[in-house]
Amino acid sequence: MKRTHIAIIVFIALAIGAIMVTINDASTYVGFNRASENPGTKYTVIGYLDKDAPMDYDARANRFNFTAIDKEGNKQKVFYNQPKPQDFERSEEITMKGFATDSAFVASEILMKCPSKYNEQNEMAGYDTY
Amino acid sequence: MEYIGEHLLPGQLGRFFVSLSFGAALISAIAYFLYIKSQNENYKKVARGLFLSHAAAVMGIVGTLFYLLLSHYFEYDYVWKHSSLDLEKRYVFSAFWEGQEGSFILWLFWHAILGVILQFTAKKWEAPAMIVFSAVQAFLSSMVLGVFPFGLRIGSSPFVLMRNTADNFGLPWTKVPDYLERFPSFMDGTGLNPLLQNYWMTIHPPTLFLGFASTLVPFAFAVAALFNRDYKSWVKPALPWAFFSVGILGLGILMGGAWAYEALSFGGFWAWDPVENSSLVPWIVMVGAAHLMLIYRNKKTALSAAFFLSILSFILILYSTFLTRSGVLGDSSVHAFVDLGLSGQLLIYLGFFTLIAFGLLIFRYKEIPKSKKEDDLTSREFWMFIASLVLLIAAFQIIFSTSIPVINTLIGPEGLMPILGDTMAPPLDAIEHYNSFQVPFALVITLLMGIGQFLAYGKTNAKRFWKNSFISIAVALVVTALLAQLYDFWSQGLYLSFLFVSVYAVLSNLYYWLILGKGKLSFSGSSVAHIGFALIMLGSLISNAKKDVISQSEVFLSEDLPANENALLEQTDSAALGQYFAVFEDMEVVKNEQHYVVSYFNKPGDKNYAFQLRPFLLMSDQMGPTPNPDTEHFWHKDIYTHVTYSSFLEPNTGDGFGKEALVELGEGDTALYREHFIVMDSLKVSAGINDETGEMERLTLTAVARVINVLGQEFKIRPTYELEGEVLGHTDETLYDAGLRFRFEEVNMETNDIVLKAWSKLDEGQKPFIVMKAIVFPLINLLWIGSILMVIGSFIAVFQRYRTNRA
Repeated sequence: MKRTHIAIIVFIALAIGAIMVTINDASTYVGFNRASENPGTKYTVIGYLDKDAPMDYDARANRFNFTAIDKEGNKQKVFYNQPKPQDFERSEEITMKGFATDSAFVASEILMKCPSKYNEQNEMAGYDTY
Repeated sequence: MEYIGEHLLPGQLGRFFVSLSFGAALISAIAYFLYIKSQNENYKKVARGLFLSHAAAVMGIVGTLFYLLLSHYFEYDYVWKHSSLDLEKRYVFSAFWEGQEGSFILWLFWHAILGVILQFTAKKWEAPAMIVFSAVQAFLSSMVLGVFPFGLRIGSSPFVLMRNTADNFGLPWTKVPDYLERFPSFMDGTGLNPLLQNYWMTIHPPTLFLGFASTLVPFAFAVAALFNRDYKSWVKPALPWAFFSVGILGLGILMGGAWAYEALSFGGFWAWDPVENSSLVPWIVMVGAAHLMLIYRNKKTALSAAFFLSILSFILILYSTFLTRSGVLGDSSVHAFVDLGLSGQLLIYLGFFTLIAFGLLIFRYKEIPKSKKEDDLTSREFWMFIASLVLLIAAFQIIFSTSIPVINTLIGPEGLMPILGDTMAPPLDAIEHYNSFQVPFALVITLLMGIGQFLAYGKTNAKRFWKNSFISIAVALVVTALLAQLYDFWSQGLYLSFLFVSVYAVLSNLYYWLILGKGKLSFSGSSVAHIGFALIMLGSLISNAKKDVISQSEVFLSEDLPANENALLEQTDSAALGQYFAVFEDMEVVKNEQHYVVSYFNKPGDKNYAFQLRPFLLMSDQMGPTPNPDTEHFWHKDIYTHVTYSSFLEPNTGDGFGKEALVELGEGDTALYREHFIVMDSLKVSAGINDETGEMERLTLTAVARVINVLGQEFKIRPTYELEGEVLGHTDETLYDAGLRFRFEEVNMETNDIVLKAWSKLDEGQKPFIVMKAIVFPLINLLWIGSILMVIGSFIAVFQRYRTNRA
């Protein structure tokens, strides 16, 4: 067997290793219930903002909290130790990475999806004006 | 029906050009094929003519779209979505390629130009290589066709009128002849995404797309070689193109990093975002392909690997296009394109070329000449081959992790074959995940790059190797020790070795070029490119591993949480940020931007500031307030800052009430607001009916509520909501002693609850403030210097290869 063949075999072994580690590193999308079953374990939860519940950002303490509803419909208070994301009120969907505690879900990272202006304009032109 | 004010001619012209470009490319491929089969020169003439008309049609598409954008013809959907009247002329380019259709056209444009060059330079390779080019162009043109035969959708046209888009089809306004003059929303476009209004966005996409397009050339040569069963001679003409691709695609990717660093607020130049990854991976593979071709040129081995990687690079470009444009990335990327419903077509495109190219490779694999000889362990070719393998693993790891959403679509719980129980999410800490693989890979690559120049093809003389390497190793040890001391690397083993390896690779290539090669041009291509790459590694390592968030506060919310990385600065007060004392001076409004002027002093009490930064928030209708960083550059470090929040964003009533909050209450409900209970007792309704028409003329709703403070004192409030005809009014209730104000905002139609808007009195002495983030990136300039060198080196290599080919 040639040395290059050995190198290729090592390469394939490494590739399989990379797949295993990636699957290990990958988190799963879950609801708040699953996150609460394993407090302290990090999860990614997708939900949306509960606009009926109060939302509070204390700039001095730099603490932001709000209530989110996940895809299964469960409400959960969320703490975010970062400034309130711009245009948070308008978000359609929030992706929260973090872990559950007994009182709240503590998010370390938040991504949001906002409706584009295009849709709003469209509605304005199409439905309301006429 | 006649519509008023529309300009239909340019759109029809544009559509004509698209059809011509599609048809001519398709028939050109067929004509070239017939030429190969029949060797009839007439077919070749026809094929050439057709490809030239295709190229002309592509220029026509580009011209038409620019004309539409510059003329502000907002009846066209693309113009309305991507530009506006107030868009500065210099951003018309960014508007051109902001949408998917425009970026497809940009891609077509570069392919057309490269194709024409190839037509006249490829000689015996012309016909088979141009079949590949024409076929690719036919597929790409079909992406902007925008036709609907048999209920199928083929492509999305940039020349479609807004009233004809699927979203708007059949809406009432599309039946109004003078809709353009009647509705204000059609008189101006929605404008260009503010993040793209940046000079980097004018030059980054065309460079990147030229890079994408350039990978087609080695691919076309490789496929042509397999097709012609002429397995050896393609390497020579393909080699300069492979290095061209390395240089230009590398430049495009680095420009993207520079844009992210200058204009985005994620704090750095690279974030392992899926969109970034998907252009990096084909580049890594192309670097491997180019080096394998070099091995073949010099030692006639590694030919099948050269075929494989040359083909793979372009296939990965197609795969990346699928990833970023099909909407499959969805939640995992911030800046993938919106789904245009073209994923099926993209998948066919990807599948077609994957099957043809890899199919040919598998069928012809046995015929590809292979070297019988065992490579010597000390030979340059052996280690270059190993390096290419490492590049391939690195690329594989990145693309696999990036493809998690694709894996979900295939085998996730809602996928085609539900094997997984849970939907997989991308790694929680993406940067850590990728770095844990890529740092060791980069370390090996950089090490091989340092050693490689001193290895000989065939067999290396050990004595000479050590003699030539000794100085670089010794100097590298000293420099590494200095850097490690300066930036405190001693406790981090992996980073420390990476530091040494990068310094060594810079020095050994410098030595090779200046001492062994006497600074001659023929030695410079690889040396300069390698020095550049090693400097990029060095710059990324130091600036990332030793970045210092100087706005970090020491207050922890809980043990598990990262410390807050944002500092609060009150106007005119000074706050310590790392070694500096920062003062938030003022906010200045410039057009639709809020500029926050922050001065940095070396010592408190200094009269003159050391420097001043003006990060701003762009107040865009489209995206809300968008932070834009400002960075102070020193030769040895950058101070990068952006505003994450400011008191100027808080709504207030103009007479000192702010902290707006909405409270929804049903009858008998209680809510808590600023240490007060609000108890909703009842709702009083009074309406005035017109006796004659029986219609309601006036409606007054009064919320009867109580506010109870911590001492148990009760205050009655009666905020009202009044509707007179169409006119809406509110009577607010203000409790001056408690500093609270309430408004009956509306009634929630679904729950019939009352929505109260509450404000509280702002502290008189409260100063305006900002919350900002500041990061020091040490030695980040090494990264930029390295980037420039790597690109220059690659182009010297192109030139050298081109010259030796001609000689």
